[in-house]
Amino acid sequence: MACRLLTRSAAARLVSHLRRTPGPTQRLLAPRAALSSLLGSTDGLPHAADSTLRVPARWFSSPSTDAVAEAPVTADGLTVDSIASKGWTILPEAESDWRSHAAAVAQSIKLIKKRLKWGWILERTKQLSVVLERPDLWEDPVFAGMVSREHGELMGKIKSVNQFEQELIEHIEMLRLAREENDNELETESMGDLADMRRNAKEKELNALLSGDNDSCSCFIEVQAGAGGTESMDWAAMVMNMYRSWAQRRGYTVTVVEEMPGEVAGIKRATIKVDGEYAFGYAKAEVGVHRLVRISPFDSGKRRHTSFSAVAVIPILGDASSRYQIKDSDLRIERFRSGGPGGQHANTTESAIRIVHIPTGISATCQNERSQHMNKASAMAVLQSRLDQLEIARQAQMNAEHTQSLNEISWGNQIRSYVLHPYRMVKDLRTNYEVSDPDSVLEGDLDDFILNYLSSALDEADVSK
Amino acid sequence: MAMLAFSSNAFLRPNPPGPHLRRLLLPKPLSSAAALTPPTPQADPTGGSNPDPDPTPLFLRPASHRVPAAALAAFRLRAAALVPPSAPHLRRHLRWLLADAAANDPASGSDPALLRASLDDLEALWLRHVRGRRPFQYVVGNEHWRDLVVAVREGVLIPRPETEAVVDIVKRVEGFEDGWWADLGTGSGAIAVAVARELGAAGRVFATDVSEVALEVARLNVQRYGVQDKVEIRHGSWFEPLEDVKGKLMGVISNPPYIPNVDLPGLQPEVGWHEPKLALDGGKDGLEHLLHLCEGLSSVLKPGGFFVFETNGDKQSEFLVDLISTKWSSFRNVEAVLDFADIKRFVTGYRR
Repeated sequence: MACRLLTRSAAARLVSHLRRTPGPTQRLLAPRAALSSLLGSTDGLPHAADSTLRVPARWFSSPSTDAVAEAPVTADGLTVDSIASKGWTILPEAESDWRSHAAAVAQSIKLIKKRLKWGWILERTKQLSVVLERPDLWEDPVFAGMVSREHGELMGKIKSVNQFEQELIEHIEMLRLAREENDNELETESMGDLADMRRNAKEKELNALLSGDNDSCSCFIEVQAGAGGTESMDWAAMVMNMYRSWAQRRGYTVTVVEEMPGEVAGIKRATIKVDGEYAFGYAKAEVGVHRLVRISPFDSGKRRHTSFSAVAVIPILGDASSRYQIKDSDLRIERFRSGGPGGQHANTTESAIRIVHIPTGISATCQNERSQHMNKASAMAVLQSRLDQLEIARQAQMNAEHTQSLNEISWGNQIRSYVLHPYRMVKDLRTNYEVSDPDSVLEGDLDDFILNYLSSALDEADVSK
Repeated sequence: MAMLAFSSNAFLRPNPPGPHLRRLLLPKPLSSAAALTPPTPQADPTGGSNPDPDPTPLFLRPASHRVPAAALAAFRLRAAALVPPSAPHLRRHLRWLLADAAANDPASGSDPALLRASLDDLEALWLRHVRGRRPFQYVVGNEHWRDLVVAVREGVLIPRPETEAVVDIVKRVEGFEDGWWADLGTGSGAIAVAVARELGAAGRVFATDVSEVALEVARLNVQRYGVQDKVEIRHGSWFEPLEDVKGKLMGVISNPPYIPNVDLPGLQPEVGWHEPKLALDGGKDGLEHLLHLCEGLSSVLKPGGFFVFETNGDKQSEFLVDLISTKWSSFRNVEAVLDFADIKRFVTGYRR
């Protein structure tokens, strides 16, 4: 049901893919912006190529531009697909049954392919190969660089999956050979290799979850309190704390960008910056409305309250082109001061500054500092980051990628419920994943929720072939 | 109220000395800042000639007073009770006064609090601010100006927010980093220090003032920001101390007294009653010193040199722009520059 973020993004991609499917190169060349939307992440399966030890050369003797390698087959006609569709029982890892191992790995490969949008990748690589062969390609070096980089990334993903498939088939062949020749040592070794592959495959499944555009970026997390006064502002502060400790647990750097405290307690709204690899890839799973049910400590009548907080996540694009260029002429700088001749005539300590960016109407105010100069500098920094966020959202939209900002989140889009009374439970309404220990979740133990959501969102999406 | 009326009269009674007399007076070292300060309207327990027993700015005094948190809180309440609803800015001042007085973060709520003045002293300071309209900057002994905390005290003009722009104007001059600059009538030294912090290895600022008090404060500020090797402080009126660098200056900066003397009696009490008349009184039409500065410019500036003066605003600036570009042919690009309130506050130009 609810995997709105990703299904929409996937759908957008599918649409842009379909639009290009006829794929004459001219069309590919035309709108560079649209093409850049298709730039895949480098990080689909980053470790696979290194961790695969033996690479039989014969499967890749064909030129690398030929993306679709022939599917590996065993002597008796087994392929990865056929193994997956045989419906062999998958036993626990400890059981030494080659069919069980093989079936588990084949299922993983199927899942990984789905998460990587395999059909789309193959088609796209084919198109890019055609573009790469154009003789006039390097007349536009920037474009050529983009194309060849994307091509390289996609080829990396394809190769690494193909190698994994190849490995599986080889192990099965080895095992059969060992049995035919009654080589117990080889049989044990091959069985061990298969079990290793099975464990490896689980890791690859996870990595494939974070293969979306911008997934590897740092991000902003914004939390805004819903209606309901102090109780809901307190909840917003709890949610913000949850993300801060989650981010710290993951080893990310957290900085507070902006904080608007509530009158009595909590926050009306706050923004933090989370710096680190894949911060956006994980945090994007948290976009939406979070609901709390508890006995409010701010209610002298000890009644049960329900409050809401909205969470937005915005990627910080790596390249400087996303920084918004502010023109001085677009700014109106307001100083709160009385009229009159000013200068030596007046003594004032009023130093508050408000800067308005006229084209967007976005403004920033600062009055913490005692000099106008310093207040202006602080207000400019805030304004810059607000405009950057806007620019990021605009570029993301231009890239046909879906980014949600706070104003787009409808308060009806509830993603998770935290109940502290009358029972204790945290339940994700999108995946139905739940735990009975709200405290640990509120202390930042969010990874299970995030991974569950990411996998369900990608795996249910109709994007495979 | 009667006191107030009396004091305004008292301020008017001694006629301001005529321009000629003033100019004769200027180069002489002044024995006391108070001679130039209009009498404070209220009886001052410490005596008018010595308005502050300890001239060290509050924020630089040693933190030697342990005050129980409860007593500090009581003081805060007492002081806040003196703030009339018509003067909400005093709440901000009280917060800043306590911030400057505290040696540790006031928010930490440590008990006892470590203060730079006794509660009695703070109370006296606060009363003189609220009742005597002594400028807040003199009370705490500083003004936050640009990114600096400039020490000030009675006898020195409090740097104005408008003047912050002078430094930005200087920074726009090509190659300013390595030039020699003069800040004439430096006062607290705010401009000189701020410009010096932007200069390169070869850059220098000659900061002159006729007032000994001003030089003392300027020296303190230069030291606090560690720009002694960039700023040379010289005693004397306008160009007088600059004989040896004539024709070598890349730029001349000045925020001279420019208030027309007829406007002096109507000034805001914080300014008229407390700030040095020497730094405010521009004589007839407020132009006396500005004209003197314009006349001396071409002899001290090197060819291509730059000047920026702060003025009383629109009419004065327009007059000066017109005068400089028509009377002398030796200047180019003479223009009036707006301040943040869109008043033509500055006059700038280049020597040919």
